[in-house]
Amino acid sequence: MKTKPKILIIDDEEVVLDSCTLILEGGDYSVSTASNGTLGLEHVEGIQPDLVFVDLKMPGIPGIEVLERITEINPTIVTIVITGYATVTSAVEAMKKGAYDFLPKPFTPDEFRIITKRGLERRKLMLEAIALRKEKEILRENFAAIVSHELKSPLGAIQQNLYALSGELASILSENQLAKIERMKIRIDDLLKLINSWLRVYSVDITKIKDNFTTISVSSLLSKAIETIEPHAVRKDISLIQTIDESVSFIDGDEGSLVEALVNIIGNAVKYSYPGSKIKVNAIEKEGNVEISVIDSGVGIQEEELPNVLSDFFRGKTDQSGTDSHGIGLTISKRIIEAHDGSISVTSKANEGTTFMISIPSKIIEK
Amino acid sequence: MNQNKQLLMIDDDPDFVEGIKSILDSAGYSVDVTYNPKDGLQALKEKTYDLLLLDIMMGRGAEGIMIARKLRKDPKLREMPLLIITGIREQMAFLFPGEPVHPRFVAVDELVEKPVDPKLLLEKVSALISLSEARKSKAG
Repeated sequence: MKTKPKILIIDDEEVVLDSCTLILEGGDYSVSTASNGTLGLEHVEGIQPDLVFVDLKMPGIPGIEVLERITEINPTIVTIVITGYATVTSAVEAMKKGAYDFLPKPFTPDEFRIITKRGLERRKLMLEAIALRKEKEILRENFAAIVSHELKSPLGAIQQNLYALSGELASILSENQLAKIERMKIRIDDLLKLINSWLRVYSVDITKIKDNFTTISVSSLLSKAIETIEPHAVRKDISLIQTIDESVSFIDGDEGSLVEALVNIIGNAVKYSYPGSKIKVNAIEKEGNVEISVIDSGVGIQEEELPNVLSDFFRGKTDQSGTDSHGIGLTISKRIIEAHDGSISVTSKANEGTTFMISIPSKIIEK
Repeated sequence: MNQNKQLLMIDDDPDFVEGIKSILDSAGYSVDVTYNPKDGLQALKEKTYDLLLLDIMMGRGAEGIMIARKLRKDPKLREMPLLIITGIREQMAFLFPGEPVHPRFVAVDELVEKPVDPKLLLEKVSALISLSEARKSKAG
């Protein structure tokens, strides 16, 4: 059963209230009226209307204030002002206070019907938008549970049995057969990693890492990240060159997450670099921030793609290694850096290379 | 040398259990298995085990936690080493705030993520058992 749209008209002139009610009669609305702002606001609280017409010029609480109070009560209620002195200024002021539209007096029944219809349409869209947002939130929250149980558990069980099998069959299978099992393990492991990345993006509240912040040294941070990436770089004959300015010292943060963020960014540079090229990792102290830049001379990013690089699931088109990736690492890195009150930006030129710039507030150590 | 070691595993995923059990069997452990918290607790009452392998996310939620809490309250059971095997490490942080890897439910415990590499599994099991034995001989 659908409820009738609820319309409230607040106006001190009885003739306006009567005629408006009359105009809407038979239009399948539930119409209420109030002859002043105080009564009107009581109605707003009581009946929670979808649409409210407010006369700007009334004795008692002025229309503008009524408007503000309605927005406070429920910002999704659509308000339209009726004004006898249709000046641009009063209409503009009303719109600023949240009115959706205005209706100058005198108006024809048709004008009133049309504006009512539009106002209700607006209300419907607002409610729909809210419902969609809520749904999205619920989906996001459930995603973690669904993914972990429905996908991760079976994969985990398969992998566990492969582990067991490969041990048990080690002396029976041929080298070729064992290699097949190894490849299966690797593929499943990739899938599990992908699922973990999804979980990280959608279910874990990264700001929670703030609870575990400690003082960490920037140079040890960079060393740890580079150490992880080095084997991949060596395999592609790419050299990682690290320069840390003397002034760079400490930041407040969660080391594990920051290493993860840097590994993602430097790893990304390796992935999109040409064999034999160099990647520079620099750290300097600048205006109270530690600035870490990762500069490659790889394939670069097309200008129109730049704004998407740090958003969810972006994946560059020209992957030099041909290896698979899920385009989620940079999103995670961005969130980790932002959880450290830092920022990350990217500049790039196609076929020339890409620079990622990370800035995190430095820690002042009192001596 | 592991032949006299009695292990119990509580996990509601029979396929996963099979994968773990056969690794432990090959290493010479004797492994009993239960597939829900109720049977698990019953088994713990009936027999003394050298180590418990416990899944956290069972049934409708973190039912494994309930077992871990019971172990902690029991003066005898809390001396038994515990290896928690979970599919969801990320969520462990919420279940044990500030203690993401060492749940510290009982005197000797540790947490590993599913799936568990055989080498790591055998290392953890043997390390937890020796740690617990060292504790006992020290106390005795």
